[in-house]
Amino acid sequence: MVTVRKPRSAEGVVRFESVTKNYGKRAVVDNLSFEIARGEVVGFLGPNGAGKTTAMRILSGYFAPSSGHVEIEGIDLFKDPRRAKQRVGYLPETVRFYPDMRVREYLRFVTGLKGVPEKRRTDEVEEKITQCGLSEVSHRLIGRLSKGYRQRVGLAQALIGDPSVLILDEPTTGLDPKQITEIRELIRTLGRERAVILSTHILSEVSMVCNRVLMIHQGQVLASGTVRELEACLKDRDAIFVTVRGPEHERVVTDLLVQIPGAENIRVVERHEGEIRFCLETSHPLDLRPEITELFVKNRLPLLEVRRDQLTLEEIFLKLLKDGWFQMRRAA
Amino acid sequence: MRKAFTVAKKECSSLFHSWTGVFTGAFFFLVTGIFFTVLVLSYAKLSMDPRLAGSQTSFPNVSQTHYIFGSFFLNANVILLFLVPILTMRSFSEERKHETLELLFTYPLSDLEIVAGKLIGLIWFFEILLVPLAGYFLIFHLIGGELDWGPVISGFLGFWALGTAYLAAGVFVSTLTRNPMISAVGTFALLIVFWMMDLAPMTGEGGVPVILSAMSPLQHFRNLTYGILDLRDIIYFGFFFFYFLFLSLRSIETRNWKHFE
Repeated sequence: MVTVRKPRSAEGVVRFESVTKNYGKRAVVDNLSFEIARGEVVGFLGPNGAGKTTAMRILSGYFAPSSGHVEIEGIDLFKDPRRAKQRVGYLPETVRFYPDMRVREYLRFVTGLKGVPEKRRTDEVEEKITQCGLSEVSHRLIGRLSKGYRQRVGLAQALIGDPSVLILDEPTTGLDPKQITEIRELIRTLGRERAVILSTHILSEVSMVCNRVLMIHQGQVLASGTVRELEACLKDRDAIFVTVRGPEHERVVTDLLVQIPGAENIRVVERHEGEIRFCLETSHPLDLRPEITELFVKNRLPLLEVRRDQLTLEEIFLKLLKDGWFQMRRAA
Repeated sequence: MRKAFTVAKKECSSLFHSWTGVFTGAFFFLVTGIFFTVLVLSYAKLSMDPRLAGSQTSFPNVSQTHYIFGSFFLNANVILLFLVPILTMRSFSEERKHETLELLFTYPLSDLEIVAGKLIGLIWFFEILLVPLAGYFLIFHLIGGELDWGPVISGFLGFWALGTAYLAAGVFVSTLTRNPMISAVGTFALLIVFWMMDLAPMTGEGGVPVILSAMSPLQHFRNLTYGILDLRDIIYFGFFFFYFLFLSLRSIETRNWKHFE
């Protein structure tokens, strides 16, 4: 496991210490530990069912773990829940809120539950409405809002009371591209003075929004570090993409590529409008592009593109999942 | 506890903003209105009966208040069997279905504040339904009735106690499921069981029927409609209410160790 551990500091806002959550005999979260500092946006990354949502629900105070500790700004979340929860804002993955309430009325209700002082409530609500771009719909029933606006209502309720920790479970699912960009921008801004944890299974989102990544699989941390650090671990691995026209050539091309010394892990990544894209991996100093081009020209194959790339986060993740490749490399 | 009142206020006002609240309110007034009218008319018919005219002895122990309001409250308990399940099915089941309950648990307020808040909100709604019933007294007074305040007040109190006790039971059933329909049917079934326990003494003599009927809320409610204020009945309703409040708390606590969605 590659762990780029942060030294424990006064800035550590969230502390998750060997947390386990069992459902029956199955551990959904298995001895999970991490720490998050103020000003960090951390991405929880993992396939569906990896334990992201469960971990986030524990962190939000929704339910208690089977064992382990959770601290928010040094306050134990399950010994002193009232004070700790005051510091946490949570946006669940799917929530319809109260469909028969109006946006402003609902946010006002939340200020009461979060214990915002009576005098500040009106200002607090108006502030969050502006911040989340809800001014136009503030008088409308939540049940009649579009998914994008409802997501913003969710964000607004999480922000009420100015929590120092924000937990966002898949904040961009179901939004259109413009809304996604806006929400990401908002999250980046919010992350400057808070600790933000967001879960996603969209990898590109992580590299765009997060300073740090926690890859989770089967309830455990698979890898942790900045996007750059994780990529650096694989720097000496390159991917070569070869695009050929004509699906009938698939067999021939695969056979050809296999013969090239140094080409590993050959696979088809895309078939689209009569074009096939292959991907193969090489070790860094080796550049196979000239060989491939030569071979294809010699065999009169309609080569469209040969491109060399570093492995992306997606591929890192697949690797990690597939064969514990990280551990193998560390051992070597 | 201030947060509990925030929850209660929302719970109560959302009932007024929903069809459920409007329909149950309309239903309640319609049925109580019919009961009242029927009872007044039947008393009037009875009092016109020449065989009973002028004779104090042949119409014993039955004051106007007792005849009309005693039966009124006793009959009104049947309305609660239908009213309560519809009111309480929203409290937890619907919130679970809409996944808003999850959020509520992550706010800085205790489980007790959530359950108590919801219960208080429902009780407020129920109390608001009770207020216009006072209008019946006014009508009764205007048509020349003689009011005996004791039984009227204790009957009111009894009906309120029975209603709040049933609401507590309904809220508990509502914490058990995320399906509002199941919650409503389950609450109805539970209330019917309580109702039938009251009938147990008809089935025979002996310990079991007596114990069963003593455990039925109707048994204790009946005393109050007669104008008998007994501490035991009040303790019974208090115990009933807090017992179901406690069960609801335990029930939502289970989210900590099993799937609760």
